[in-house]
Amino acid sequence: VRLSQANLLGEPYEPGAFFDEMYEGTGTPRTHYRALAEQLAGLSAEEFEERRHAVGVSFLNQGIGFTVYGEDESLERIFPFDLIPRVIPRAEWDLLERGLVQRVRALNLFLADIYHRQRILADGRIPPGLVFGARQFRREMIGIDPPGGVYAHIAGVDLIRDADGRYLVLEDNLRVPSGASYMLENRAAMKRSFAQLFHEHGVLGIDHYPQELLAALRSVAPPSATAPTIVLLTPGVHNSAYFEHSFLARHMGIELVDGGDLLCHDDFVYMRTTQGLERVDVIYRRVDDEFLDPLAFKKDSLLGTPGLLNAYRAGNVTLANALGTGVADDKAVYKYVPEMIRYYLGEEPVLDNVPTYLAADERERGYILDHLDELVVKTVDGSGGYGMLIGPASTAAERERFRGQIQSDPRSFVAQPTISLSRMPIYVDEVRPAHIDLRPFVLSGSVTTVVPGGLTRAALRAGSLVVNSSQGGGSKDTWVLRS
Amino acid sequence: VLSRVADSLYWTARYIERAEDTSRLLHVNFHAMLDADSSDHGDSWRDLLLAVGREQLFREHGGEVTAPAVTEFLLWHPANPDSVAACVSRARANARGVREQLSSEMWEHLNRLHLYVSQRRGRGVIARPHDFLAQVRDGSQAFQGVTKATLPRGEAYEFLQLGAHLERADSAARILSVKQASLFEEAPEPVAAARMVHVLKCVGAMEAYRKHENDRLAALRVVRYLLLDRQAPRSVLFCLERCLAAIRSISGTSERPERAIGRIVAELSFADVGFDVAALLQRVLRAVDETAAEIASAYFTTRVILPGPYAQQQQQQQ
Repeated sequence: VRLSQANLLGEPYEPGAFFDEMYEGTGTPRTHYRALAEQLAGLSAEEFEERRHAVGVSFLNQGIGFTVYGEDESLERIFPFDLIPRVIPRAEWDLLERGLVQRVRALNLFLADIYHRQRILADGRIPPGLVFGARQFRREMIGIDPPGGVYAHIAGVDLIRDADGRYLVLEDNLRVPSGASYMLENRAAMKRSFAQLFHEHGVLGIDHYPQELLAALRSVAPPSATAPTIVLLTPGVHNSAYFEHSFLARHMGIELVDGGDLLCHDDFVYMRTTQGLERVDVIYRRVDDEFLDPLAFKKDSLLGTPGLLNAYRAGNVTLANALGTGVADDKAVYKYVPEMIRYYLGEEPVLDNVPTYLAADERERGYILDHLDELVVKTVDGSGGYGMLIGPASTAAERERFRGQIQSDPRSFVAQPTISLSRMPIYVDEVRPAHIDLRPFVLSGSVTTVVPGGLTRAALRAGSLVVNSSQGGGSKDTWVLRS
Repeated sequence: VLSRVADSLYWTARYIERAEDTSRLLHVNFHAMLDADSSDHGDSWRDLLLAVGREQLFREHGGEVTAPAVTEFLLWHPANPDSVAACVSRARANARGVREQLSSEMWEHLNRLHLYVSQRRGRGVIARPHDFLAQVRDGSQAFQGVTKATLPRGEAYEFLQLGAHLERADSAARILSVKQASLFEEAPEPVAAARMVHVLKCVGAMEAYRKHENDRLAALRVVRYLLLDRQAPRSVLFCLERCLAAIRSISGTSERPERAIGRIVAELSFADVGFDVAALLQRVLRAVDETAAEIASAYFTTRVILPGPYAQQQQQQQ
């Protein structure tokens, strides 16, 4: 199929040096995009714009937004959404699913190991200094047995594709990953605007995500709780992901609480209700470790609940995710995840890592400092796309600033080659290619599962490689095909 | 439900009802002004301010009692904490904090109303506020209707009912206490009738009253109807009985809210034929305040939200 110029998709663009999700060559859609391309080609820009507007209005009416809420309510912005879906063929997804489950299982085994016997360190497979030196390593967790041995109940693993179309893992987000609600709202918006496309494509459903999550949370309740009370702990309405917290609580039918709603007494956690105190067994917490308990961590935290850590240590409440999972998504420890898979599972990794250089290693540091203009430099515990240096797009001054920081605190930095993220068309006034990634959500309870799909994020600014919503990224619906 | 949730639901309902009641007062007054025989323009605008309890605040900030000045003050003047815009905005802010407790339809109606109100400011609206006021009334009524149609009858529902009905009772009692004296004044038949119609419309009970009593209008009957009728959904007794029912099904750990409201409901239920209207209304208003205070101390814990570091700490993300 070669597309004409007189349609929505416009003049075909050159894939260039990037892997294009939709096109094999200039203007030739891949097999699994053919039906979509034909449908879109049948639309005029006006028709498309009309549906886009309708989605915008409905997001606005529903208050689907992500920014902060202060005195000035105009700060609430709706989540930018692109109406051209990303399509993943079944065979490709099966591979991803296998790779994701394998990876998260290994990461959970790693966490259990380093907070107990630390065999992997004793066997010399990971440098101990790297683990103990990680800011997110929590000594408080040593010897604690979370129910089912699960630490990272919810993982948001970021996948990208290199110039050959090979899937690579860019980051494992094991602390409080966001985005599942946008994945679900994007799907709902697409169903409203392009019902016809769903009939023709056979797209696997994702709407059961909240129930899967609830089942996972229920499966890790303390053994003493027969009918566990599960709550979602939010930092509050000012948090950028508050919409998601409220969304998930509503769809799981559980209470949304903030730190002040909870109270710890004799190592049990309760919530304050109009009928008195009610016991809480599982906390799906969307508050970072450091803010959870002012008695154990940041003393000035107003978001947490005093005594929570003791209740947790006593085994009377489950935290999901567990404390201290951040050590496993540390960007230096990340380098060793393939090693963890081999060590704990005796398998070869299904999904590869992006090559990573550790500034903590003297030889690799030398390489990083010599190649700052080619590499992407990241802080090891950063998230949200903050604190990054993208070498090829950087100024000399920025590079010098990072050089100084790397030399004075090498443990805090890693570098990776600049990956040419794959691209696909987005519609912003016209159709043009944009870089994308994919964040599927991996749930671990008594079993480890992934709902077929994820959040595809697109860098809306022309040429940008950063897809984080806090950095001007938007998102797309992600379709995993039935066949 | 959580104490914080109960607090927010109760105030969501109070604020949305307050926005509707203020809109209705403005609406009715604008229409009344168009009748040739109404000669008391300034007075009726001042009555409006008295009915919402903001006469003094208006004098501090507003100055002259004119239609545009009072309208602006009641619609969105920043100095008025009970302006329609402020009420809608606070209803929405409260709902946003407990969004998972509402049905998505409820939230969407409220959010749409908020977007509508926050996007329409201007002299055009003040000169011809009909559409704006109708939208606020519709938004509030749609929210309350959708609540009935979608929300399970649990505690969350009861707190919404409690807030809405307490606010409605308060509003009806205030209007009556501002206007009742004028109803009993000697006046030519058409003027007296217009006054009674005006009061009935301000409470939103004109059509209901006509169905109840299609006879000639009589001041005492109108007052009794607005205060004591058990079928009229906006009468004071009706609303207070609904509050009592809501409190009974919430049945927290304290009996004080029930006692506070039960006393006034009993008094109204057994009111003598020749009661002193003004004194009774004062007791109703006092009981409403007392009930509100008892509700707050029985069900909502005192919570202090500190600006600054608190909001900053909330901004973590991954």
